[in-house]
Amino acid sequence: VTRLKIPIESIALPNGLKVVIASDTSAPVVTVGVYYKIGFRLEPRGRSGFAHLFEHMMFQGSANAAKMQHIKLINSSGGVLNGSTHYDVTNYFESVPSNALERILWLEADRMRALKVDDENLRNQRDVVKEEVRVNVLNQPYGGFPWLDLPPIAFRNWANAHNFYGDFADLDAASLADVQSFFKTYYAPNNAVLLILGDVKAEEGLALAKKYFADIPAGATPPFADPREPEQTEERRGEVPEKFGTLPAMAIGYTVPPRRTTDWCAVTLLDQALHGGRAGRMYRELVLEKQIAVEVDGGIDDLFGYNGPTQMVTKILHKPEYSSEATLAAFDSVIRDIQQTGVTRDELDELKVKFRSDYFSTLEGGRGGMPRYGLMHLLACFSLFDNDPQLVNSILEGFLAVTPEQIQAVVARVLRPANRAIVFRVPASAKVKEAA
Amino acid sequence: MATRAAEIHASVPPLSPERPVTWPKRTKTHLANGLEIVLAESHSIPKFHGELFFRAGNAAAIQRAPGLAEMTATVVRTGTAKRTSRQIEENLRRLGADLSSSAGADNSAISFAGLSELAEPLLAMVRELATEAAFPQGEFERERRQKLEEVKLDRTQPGFLASERLRKVLFGAHPYAQVAPTEEQVAAYQRDDLLGVYHDFYTPENALLVLVGDFDSGAMLQTIEKTFGAWGGAKPAVPAAPEPPKPRGRRVYLVHVPGAVQTQILAGCHAITRKHPDWVKLGLTNSLYGGAFNSRLVMNIREDKGYTYSPRSGVNPLRQYGYFSVSAAVRNEVVAASLTEIFYELDKLRALPVPEPELADARNYLSGVFSLGLATQDGLLSQLATVALNELPDDYLETYRDKVRALTPEDLLATARKYLDSSNMQIVVVGDRTQIEPQAALFGEIEVFDAHGKRLS
Repeated sequence: VTRLKIPIESIALPNGLKVVIASDTSAPVVTVGVYYKIGFRLEPRGRSGFAHLFEHMMFQGSANAAKMQHIKLINSSGGVLNGSTHYDVTNYFESVPSNALERILWLEADRMRALKVDDENLRNQRDVVKEEVRVNVLNQPYGGFPWLDLPPIAFRNWANAHNFYGDFADLDAASLADVQSFFKTYYAPNNAVLLILGDVKAEEGLALAKKYFADIPAGATPPFADPREPEQTEERRGEVPEKFGTLPAMAIGYTVPPRRTTDWCAVTLLDQALHGGRAGRMYRELVLEKQIAVEVDGGIDDLFGYNGPTQMVTKILHKPEYSSEATLAAFDSVIRDIQQTGVTRDELDELKVKFRSDYFSTLEGGRGGMPRYGLMHLLACFSLFDNDPQLVNSILEGFLAVTPEQIQAVVARVLRPANRAIVFRVPASAKVKEAA
Repeated sequence: MATRAAEIHASVPPLSPERPVTWPKRTKTHLANGLEIVLAESHSIPKFHGELFFRAGNAAAIQRAPGLAEMTATVVRTGTAKRTSRQIEENLRRLGADLSSSAGADNSAISFAGLSELAEPLLAMVRELATEAAFPQGEFERERRQKLEEVKLDRTQPGFLASERLRKVLFGAHPYAQVAPTEEQVAAYQRDDLLGVYHDFYTPENALLVLVGDFDSGAMLQTIEKTFGAWGGAKPAVPAAPEPPKPRGRRVYLVHVPGAVQTQILAGCHAITRKHPDWVKLGLTNSLYGGAFNSRLVMNIREDKGYTYSPRSGVNPLRQYGYFSVSAAVRNEVVAASLTEIFYELDKLRALPVPEPELADARNYLSGVFSLGLATQDGLLSQLATVALNELPDDYLETYRDKVRALTPEDLLATARKYLDSSNMQIVVVGDRTQIEPQAALFGEIEVFDAHGKRLS
C-alpha cells in the first residue's frame, strides 16, 4: 500500500498564531491560507448569515490596502484568491507564482491586524450577498437543498439549526459596529492558523511568517458557543416547498458520531458503502435496480472540516409516479439490508482502496484552479481543532483498520429512526395537480 | 473601476525574481492503429489521471438525432461483452478509480483517475468500455428515462435557459445551435442509434489518449501498446454543417420564467476558435474586461454597484466556431442598469487604449494563472488535451506566456474593435417578463419565449 509522507513544519508564534509549512518545490507556485476558528455556528443570534457577510467584508479594505487593493495585488501578481465560510472555520486563501509569496503574506497580515471598512462597503457587500443567495438558493431549482433545509429540522441548538446564508432582515440589520466587534472578537492571531504550501523552504517560510505576523497583538480568548445537541428521541420530519423543480425530492440525514472516534471511522466507510458513486448501495438499489429515483447521492460533507454535530445525508430526486412514502420505504429497505447482513470483508477491502484513493485526490485537489486546496484545508482544520497538523499523514490509518464488526456495531448505533431527520421538497407543480 | 482610486501602499513587498517553470517529462506518439498518445509525468500524488477522447460528439451526430453522442456515452458504462453494469461499477471501486463518460459538441470522452499501483487493470477497464460495450436493452431504456427527466430539469435552470437561447440565436441551422435534445427527441432514441454512433465514433483512428500522473513513461507506453494495440477502426465521415447566421444588430431575447426573483443576463457574439492567431490577444482582452476578479466589469457592477454576485465573461471555443459571452445574475430592478454598464465597459475597450500599468497587471494575471494550471495532474491534463485536440504547435505551452507578455495596448484596442462590438451583441434575459420586459426592450427589438422555447410575443 502506497502511503504519503508529506513534510510538515509547524510552530506557534508568541501571539498565538499557528504556522504550518508544507514545502514542495517541484512547481514554482505557492498556496497560502489563513483560517480563523469562527463559522456559521458561532454567529450572533439575530444576525443569521453574519459570518458569511463578514467574510465578504475582509476583502473590502485593511489599514494599508484599501478596497480592491487586496484583489488587485493578488491578481496582478498572477494569482487567484477566494474565501469561504464553513460551520466552524472561515478561510481566506490564494495561489500565486512563488515570487509573490512575501506580498501575499503582507496582505494577509495587514487584514489580520486592522480591518478598515466603512458603511458604503457594508451596503455594497450586503447587496452582493443578497444576489449570491438569490443565484444559489432563491432563484434556483433545489436551491439550498438540503444543506439549508435539514439543519433546522435536525437540530435544536440555534448554533446548529439556523439559516446560515442569512434571513434578509438579519442581513439588513447588520451594522458597521457589528463588523468591528466580530473582527475584534474572532479575528485575532490566537484564533487562527497560517498555512504556506508549495514552493518555499520550511525555514524561509517560518522566517517570513514571523516577519509579517509576529507583531500583531493577541486578542482575548474568544467565547465558545457550545454546539452540543440535546439527546434526540424520535425521528424528525419537515417539508420545504420547491418552487421551480419538476421532481419531488427528499433528504435523509443521520447524525454521525463524534469525530476521530472508532465509530466515526466506521461510519465513514459505511458512508462509502452507501454513497460511493454508482457502486454505492443507495444508487444501485434506488436508481439502477428499482428505478424509483432519478438522482441519488450523499455522504458526510467536508468530513474533516467540521467540529460539532453533523450528518450523513442521502439526497434523492425521484420519479413523480412514486410517492414519498414508497420512495422512503425503498430507502429503508437498503438500510434494513445493511442492518441485517452488514458488509463483507471483501466489500470493506474495496471500500478502503477507494477511500485511500479519494484521500490522495483530496490532498492534491484544486479548487478554482488552486493547487493543494485540500491539503491546506486538512492541515488547517487539524491545527485548529486538534492542534496536530501531522494528522494529515496518519489519519488514514484509522479508516484502514476498520473491521466488518465495527461497521455492524455502528450501523446499529447510527442508522436508527430516532437518530435521523427527513426533509421533503415538494414541487409546486405537484401541489397544483393534487388540488385539481 | 473602483470607487476610490488608491495608490498601492509604499510598504507592499515587491515581487522577487520569477522561478522558471519546470516542464513535466512529456511523450507524444501514436500506435500503429492510429491511436494518438500524450503522456506527462507528474508525481504530486501516487495516482494518475487519464482521458480517452474521440473527436466526434453531438454535432457530428446531429443528423442521426440531437444529443445522441451524449446518450451513447452515458450507456457505454452500463455493460460490456464481459461484465454487467454492477460488475463494472464494483470493479472500478476495487481499483480505487473514478470514471465518467460524456460527450460535448465536438468530442466524446471517457475520463478516469486511479491509483498508480492499479493503472494496468484500470486501463484494461477503459479499453473494455471503448471497444466492447454491449448496450444492454434494459440499461438503455433506464438511462433514456433518466435523460428524459434530466432534460425537463434543465428547463428549470436559468443558466441553462440563457445559454440554450444564445446558442440558438448565434448558430441557427448549425448543429452548435442545439445544446440539449427535446423530450420528444429523447423519447425517440433507439438502441440501434447508439450502437451506430459507438461503431462509427469510438475508433482508434478517431481517438486521443492523454495520461498524466505518477508513472514511468516508458513502462506506461508498453502497457498502452499491450492494452490498446489490437483495437481497429477508421475515422468517421463527418457530415458538412450549414453556416451559422452571424447575426448583426442588437436584439433582445427574453425567456419568461414566472416568479423568478432575479434575472439571468447572457449576451454574446461570434468570435474565434482556439486555433485562430488572435486567440491569445482576445484571451487577454477578455481577462481585462470580465475574465478575472480584478477585471473592469467585476469592479463596476459588483464591487462598485452591487448589482450582482458573479459577473463574468469568456471566449467559448468550439472546434468550428467560437463565441464571446458575458453573463450576470442581477436583481430584477437593475436589468437595464446592468446592461448599460456591460456595454459601457465593452465600448470603452474599443474607444481608449488600456493604460500600460493595467495591461501589465492583466498580462501577469494570465501568465500566472497558466502556471497554476500546470501544478495539478488534472490541470496539466486539461492543458495537454487542449493542445492536442486543437492541433496547436508542440511548443504551445512553453511559448504561451511569452506571447501574453508581448501584447501592447494597441493590440488590445485592435482586438476589441475587431471582435467586441456592442452594437451586434445578442442579448438574452431569463426572468419574469412582468418585472423586466420594459427594461429589456430598451436595448433592441424584443422576442419573448417560454421555458420550452415557444414564442410568446
